[in-house]
Amino acid sequence: MNQIRRDWVSKTSAGAILGFSLAIGLAGLFAWLTPGGLATANKFQLVMWLIAPIWLTTLSLCFFFSSGMRAWLWLGGANLMAYAGLFACRLFLR
Amino acid sequence: MRSDVVRLYKVVHTWTGITAGMFLFIAFYAGSITVFAEPLARWVSSPAPVRLTALARADELIAHTLAVRPDAAKEFTLYLTDTEDVWTRLTWRKGKDDRTPWSAELSPAGEVRLAQSYRSSLSDFVDNIHRTAGIPGANDIGETIMGVVSAVYAVALVSGLIIVLPSLGKDLFALRIGANLKRMWLDAHNVVGVVSLPFHIVIALSAVVFCLHDQLYDALDYVVYDGRLKSVMAASNPFNAIKKDERAAPMLPVSALLDRVNAASPSFVPVEMRYRNAGLRGASVQVWGHDTRYMTRGKGFAVISPVTGEIANTDYLPGREGTWTGVVATFFALHFATFGGDVVRVCYFLLGIAGAFLFYSGNLLWIESRRRTERRNGGSVNQKTSTRLMSAATVGVCLGAICAISITIVAAKWLNGRVANVDVWHNGVYYAVFLASVLWSFLRGAAAASVELLWLAAIATAAIPFTSLFSWASPALGMQGSASMAALGVDLVALSAALCFVWMARSAAHRVEYGPADSVWAASHRQLQEGAR
Repeated sequence: MNQIRRDWVSKTSAGAILGFSLAIGLAGLFAWLTPGGLATANKFQLVMWLIAPIWLTTLSLCFFFSSGMRAWLWLGGANLMAYAGLFACRLFLR
Repeated sequence: MRSDVVRLYKVVHTWTGITAGMFLFIAFYAGSITVFAEPLARWVSSPAPVRLTALARADELIAHTLAVRPDAAKEFTLYLTDTEDVWTRLTWRKGKDDRTPWSAELSPAGEVRLAQSYRSSLSDFVDNIHRTAGIPGANDIGETIMGVVSAVYAVALVSGLIIVLPSLGKDLFALRIGANLKRMWLDAHNVVGVVSLPFHIVIALSAVVFCLHDQLYDALDYVVYDGRLKSVMAASNPFNAIKKDERAAPMLPVSALLDRVNAASPSFVPVEMRYRNAGLRGASVQVWGHDTRYMTRGKGFAVISPVTGEIANTDYLPGREGTWTGVVATFFALHFATFGGDVVRVCYFLLGIAGAFLFYSGNLLWIESRRRTERRNGGSVNQKTSTRLMSAATVGVCLGAICAISITIVAAKWLNGRVANVDVWHNGVYYAVFLASVLWSFLRGAAAASVELLWLAAIATAAIPFTSLFSWASPALGMQGSASMAALGVDLVALSAALCFVWMARSAAHRVEYGPADSVWAASHRQLQEGAR
């Protein structure tokens, strides 16, 4: 197995930036797909609370990627899927 | 776990820990005290019944106050308890930033007495230190920085867990006390970290939310809600059921309103009522209170119409919340220890102090690790500048915060009622002591300063129960010591903390004289001798 690369800058930025956007995207999917949809009263607080655990779990674990490049690719892919879902929700659930 | 992964995460843990450590020490130490904010507020106040209008005369007080000051009708607060921390029965202020609220009391003859004054708020001050780690400037600056620090702290927790996982079974409960001091500190750091990990994860994540919620909402609004989050928030407003109606209408008495709330939730204990638009048909009362049977966000509340007596909203009433606010209330409770009563509060206090120890010992390990590398390389035993500075900063910041908080608490009691704006004094005393301690630590070096600042901490903390003793013994001082169990609890905790500091000061002094000379913790003259050898 290849030695794991350190890649501090690329891994940290992947976790911090893409982890954050992923968290926003997944929290948004939660807001759309749980009962009542986006406009349900009082749901927005829980939606906001979801961001921190998703974001910081991603940031903490992204050093497991064997390189910074892989971190960007995998998290970028996850972001694409999350935002595709968000876009679909906007299109079909509005 | 592959060893190269563990090595990588060791670096992550070192740098996240060393950046966040001292901020977190202050936040945890002050946070532990904030768990007992109410007893502290009672400790600093004079006994209540002599000052407060009897609750039975609350309706009379409201009517008289509104008659002489119609401007109070827009929004005023009626406090329902009789503990020392209640500074007045009825109060109102001009806007959120009004530092000098008005208060109203009834004289025995039934005349209303108005006063406008600065409010003493020692426990709010300690809470501010907790939330901002004492970073000066507007609160939101300190809180934003602490939000980032908390995020870094979350990464430090996960990376720390990853490092200890491979040897968890072998090392966890092995506290190797012995000649290898670094090994002992590491064992202690690991066992405290692993055992209190759930607590730390909860605190880290919730602190990120508390500090950065404005920014997180902005991001959600932009990305997910398409700019409509404001209208969603407005649709969730607990006052929505109360319609604006400016026709005059008589209000039900306080006791009748409290009966209605009690019928809605018998275990709910109201402590304050916030009236809005009193005397109009569109009036509302927010009844705030506690309920030990549920996990609550600090205080919960019900909204009730004082005209019809109908409960208008229970989204924040413990046990009657909806799904969404109920789940979020649980997160709040897990941070604020507002569940399970005093047992949980004592546990949170101890976990908070243990957390402060975690960050302190983390910094010590950083310093000790650097020292070992130097010896291996066969270099001079003179310690690097970086370890000297880090040890001085650790001692100055951590012990400085402890001294500053204790001295601020003592000063608050002595100054209470003697100065106009006591909040200015809280700040002045805290920062003077804190900055002087840091400066002292850099001037004297970590070794000498650790002993001296620990003695200062011991004396300052012992001054808390002695202040109470003085105020009971000589009423001429005019301090009127509180005689409640809650205030006595503050004295007892302070006394035992002072004894701990004495013990720590004595062992630190022992290390300075007799510990290894090639250490930042040895007296400077001994380090010099060692270097010359």
